[in-house]
Amino acid sequence: MSVEIKELQELIEQERAAEEKVRKAKEEAQEIVKRAREKAELVVQETESDPYQQKLRQTKKEETERKKAEIDEEYKRKISTLNKTAKDNFEKAIAFVTKEILKVEI
Amino acid sequence: MSVLELRTEIEKKATEEASRILENAKEEAERIIAEANAKTDTLRDEKTKTLMRALDTEERAELAVARMDRKGEILQLKSEWANRVFEEAGKRMAEMSEKSSPEYREVLSKLILEGIAKMRGNRFVVEANSRDVEAIRKEVKIVSERAAKMKNERIDLQVKTQPTISLGGVVVSTEDKTQYYNNTLEACLSYAQQNLTGEVYKIIFKTGG
Repeated sequence: MSVEIKELQELIEQERAAEEKVRKAKEEAQEIVKRAREKAELVVQETESDPYQQKLRQTKKEETERKKAEIDEEYKRKISTLNKTAKDNFEKAIAFVTKEILKVEI
Repeated sequence: MSVLELRTEIEKKATEEASRILENAKEEAERIIAEANAKTDTLRDEKTKTLMRALDTEERAELAVARMDRKGEILQLKSEWANRVFEEAGKRMAEMSEKSSPEYREVLSKLILEGIAKMRGNRFVVEANSRDVEAIRKEVKIVSERAAKMKNERIDLQVKTQPTISLGGVVVSTEDKTQYYNNTLEACLSYAQQNLTGEVYKIIFKTGG
């Protein structure tokens, strides 16, 4: 084999190795993009997942219960005040009713 | 160019091409992740807003129901107190009528006069329970005179027992039964309960006075 042919073969080998390097790079690139897509999908799925909504619901439920308890307390105070006022004014109201009943229009 | 130089050049070009491919892929991956993050943020915002709107509506409804329930309790309480007032007033009137005090006899006279004043005619029947009939008979002459003065004509009064009038008071009717005026204490109490409840609320729940 002459030197020129040997060199040509080596060049062809070199060219093949280069193609292989590029092919592997392409494969690796595809893998990188594939992994990125999978990760992106996972990120979006996590947003739609229930635990996130559940946490929001739970927080709001607790807030609503707290507000309801406040309303209960507010009305308990009102009822207590009303009962006390009514007890204080009971006789006055009876006197008014009795007087009105016995009021005669002649 | 020598063969060695050619080989070096091929190696260099291949390395550059591979690097470029990988670099592009990394950029593409970064773009995909960035887009996903942006989409996630938008989605999360939208979902949060939608969910919060729904939860706010639920909360408003729940709190409105809670307030309505409590307001209902307050109304019930007020109604119970007003009923107690009328109940107690009824008891006290019954006690007053049982004692047949001079004040009560005067009340009876006025109840009769009011009935006569409200009707046409000059011949009337007064009905009362047996206890009050006794008291009325003692006063019938005076009541007739007061009625005559009031109507400017002679007034004839008959007094009859009506056992169904339990609490007290009278039913006055014309002799021919075409007109009557119910002035029993039961009727007065019932009328008062229908017409004075608002006033009773004002008195019984008045604060600072």
